[in-house]
Amino acid sequence: MASFVAKKYQTLAPTVRTLASGVPVASGISFRHAPADDHSHGGPRHDTPALFAVRFSGSAKTSYVTSSPTGVFQQRFLHTSVARRDAPQVPDFSHYKAKDDSVNRATSYLMIGAMGVLTASAAKSTVTEFLSTMAASADVLALAKVEVGMSAIAEGTNVIIKWRGKPVFIRHRTPDEIEEARSIDWKTLRDPQSDEERAKNPEWLVMLGVCTHLGCVPIGESGDYGGWFCPCHGSHYDISGRIRKGPAPLNLEVPEYTIDEGEGKIIVG
Amino acid sequence: MASFSTTLYNTVFKRNSVYVSTIFAGAFAFNMAFDVGIERFWSHWNQGKLWKDIRHKYVEAEDAE
Repeated sequence: MASFVAKKYQTLAPTVRTLASGVPVASGISFRHAPADDHSHGGPRHDTPALFAVRFSGSAKTSYVTSSPTGVFQQRFLHTSVARRDAPQVPDFSHYKAKDDSVNRATSYLMIGAMGVLTASAAKSTVTEFLSTMAASADVLALAKVEVGMSAIAEGTNVIIKWRGKPVFIRHRTPDEIEEARSIDWKTLRDPQSDEERAKNPEWLVMLGVCTHLGCVPIGESGDYGGWFCPCHGSHYDISGRIRKGPAPLNLEVPEYTIDEGEGKIIVG
Repeated sequence: MASFSTTLYNTVFKRNSVYVSTIFAGAFAFNMAFDVGIERFWSHWNQGKLWKDIRHKYVEAEDAE
């Protein structure tokens, strides 16, 4: 409040309670004219509040209050404007306040975004971990693979191994055979496929030993093309396992395999 | 600082589409970084016990036989 310059005396209705109708009761006050009042006409004073506004009872009393010299000042307790700060704020939070609103805004969004990043990452992990429980376990996967030592297979020889109940041909090809397999015009073949597509390492040819015609097992190092020959219906495969002559429609299938040079092993599966 | 936060707000946070895409991209990057980091820490913690650390003992022994 502003500093006090003067004191002024007012008569206030000391309302102490409220009637059920909502009218405040001011007891101990009278609005009749004082006997010394020259303007007495016997009636109530003209500034008497209406009965609906306030109920008076008892005799007049004067109470003294200190009022501001600025006249009417009403503190509005419901307001949308910023409250006037004319006293030091206790406790003082100014140290904790952000100097700039944009920092606060960016920090809030950053925190929400970081939470979203963590949540999305955790959700993704949960889903992938759950899905991986449906995948085949490591021992099953290990059983589905066959390892063959490369050092045991001399150049220019065939090896037949059993993989998932099927024969697999592995041939360690000689440079001449590689040259032969790569030099022919493969685009004119029945099932056009280049040798580079079929053999990851040109020295090693790995393919399923099942004739694509009716499923016989072809015989190695025979046939008109120096590769495989199926005795059932006479299909001839070349040194890259491609069908060259006979009823078979497709080349010999190449299974999924990896060549581990460090261990010296071919892993089929 | 203030200009940086304003720039950040204007480039990333202002449009929800950009904001959400950034969150998903960030989640992807965070996931990979987290996996790599944990893997590296785990290998470091278990150094000397892993197959890649003790392989030479056994593989050499097999060759000698």
